[in-house]
Amino acid sequence: MLIKYKLGILLLMIAFASGQVLAADQGKAAAKPQAAEKKAVAEDPRAAAANKIILAADAARKKAGSVGGEWRDTGKMLKKAKAAVKSGAYDKAIKLAEKAGRQGELGYTQATSQQKLQLPSYVTVLYVNK
Amino acid sequence: MKKLLLLLSVLVMVMGFSLAVHASPEEDRLVFRKFYEKRFPNVATEDFINGAYSIDKAGRENWEAIEEFPPYEPFMERGREMWEKPFANGKGYKECFPDGPGVAHKYPHWDKKQQMVMTLPLAINQCREANGEKALKYKKGSINDILSYMAFESRGQITNVVVPKNDSSALDAYEQGKKFYYTRRGQLNFSCAHCHLQNAGMNLRAEMLGPALGHTTHWPTYRSKWGTVGTLHRRFTGCNKQVRAKPFKAQGEEYRNLEYFLTYMSNGLPLNGPGARK
Ligand code: HEC
Repeated sequence: MLIKYKLGILLLMIAFASGQVLAADQGKAAAKPQAAEKKAVAEDPRAAAANKIILAADAARKKAGSVGGEWRDTGKMLKKAKAAVKSGAYDKAIKLAEKAGRQGELGYTQATSQQKLQLPSYVTVLYVNK
Repeated sequence: MKKLLLLLSVLVMVMGFSLAVHASPEEDRLVFRKFYEKRFPNVATEDFINGAYSIDKAGRENWEAIEEFPPYEPFMERGREMWEKPFANGKGYKECFPDGPGVAHKYPHWDKKQQMVMTLPLAINQCREANGEKALKYKKGSINDILSYMAFESRGQITNVVVPKNDSSALDAYEQGKKFYYTRRGQLNFSCAHCHLQNAGMNLRAEMLGPALGHTTHWPTYRSKWGTVGTLHRRFTGCNKQVRAKPFKAQGEEYRNLEYFLTYMSNGLPLNGPGARK
């Protein structure tokens, strides 16, 4: 129970801290289209839109991974998003990719905000009272 | 007066942080131990090698019954055969480990030549590859056989990890492992310490969170949930996934450094592998 409560607070804190990063980075990441996906896009403009978001989200995922901050399910979400594009479920694809992109951003912020070791107070007090 | 108190407590906190960051491995270890001795004053320090069963009475009875017919025994037997059987080139593990199979207490250690933390599973695979054999997988499969045998032969040896003072890279590796342990990860934003220090003794789903002192003494371990014996790095993987973080590579630098730190924390405790857990 306690764990759940703490979890809620921590998640809120992260979400808050990374809100600005999110807003700033999304535009940047979305702006780079990549050649690899072009052939799949072809006919439907919604497919192109979805693929663009998927590419940006995948870049965000990799960026988180580069600092050891990737989350467990982000890659799976992107796989599902790609499958959804193939089956024509564009709204679903976009939703999934947007979520994955947010996870990438959050994971990155989470890792980089802890670049310095910070021991919890229940440990540090034991050093002080040595 | 109030302000002064506030200032004082802030100072204490700041000092606490900086002291902790510059602490030596030995200071870290004493604090780690003290944490659990304070939290569980009725548990003898050596009993922490039994993990959650040192603090979970009901679980302990169940576990003691399981240990009467150890589920890891067939693995040990196969491991003994592996140990005895020469490789295709006629050499064998015996040549790589001249002090015999009971050498688990010498790992992990700082390998000066390779400038990295050497673990027992990695040493086993380096031995195999040097003799033209295929490397074994690091989480599941027959690496657990040979590890079970070697762990059993090492029972009673004392954990004694050394961070050599004359090689700053060794201390770096230790510090990396320590940092890993206290870093929040994954969608749940938990560090190892959140569960195994802060919440030790609490229940998480059907399991009681065990103390991390003694976490490294009994590998590999038969887990009922796995239905087989698995390595320490497989366990790390599972604990990373629990908080919805992407796990790292078994025997990659992150987990080896983590093992280096975590095993150091258990210095002085006897080895009791292979283990059996829920
Ligand atoms: C969400 C809570 C949680 C987090 C975070 C967590 N673990 Fe665990 N861990 C568990 C549970 C539950 C068990 C099984 C019960 C026990 O032994 O504590 C366990 C077991 C273990 C064990 C096996 C203990 C034994 O006696 O065999 C090790 C080793 C371990 N964890 C290491 C870690 C490390 C290292 C981290 C950080 C990467 C970590 N854990 C993070 C919940 C967690």
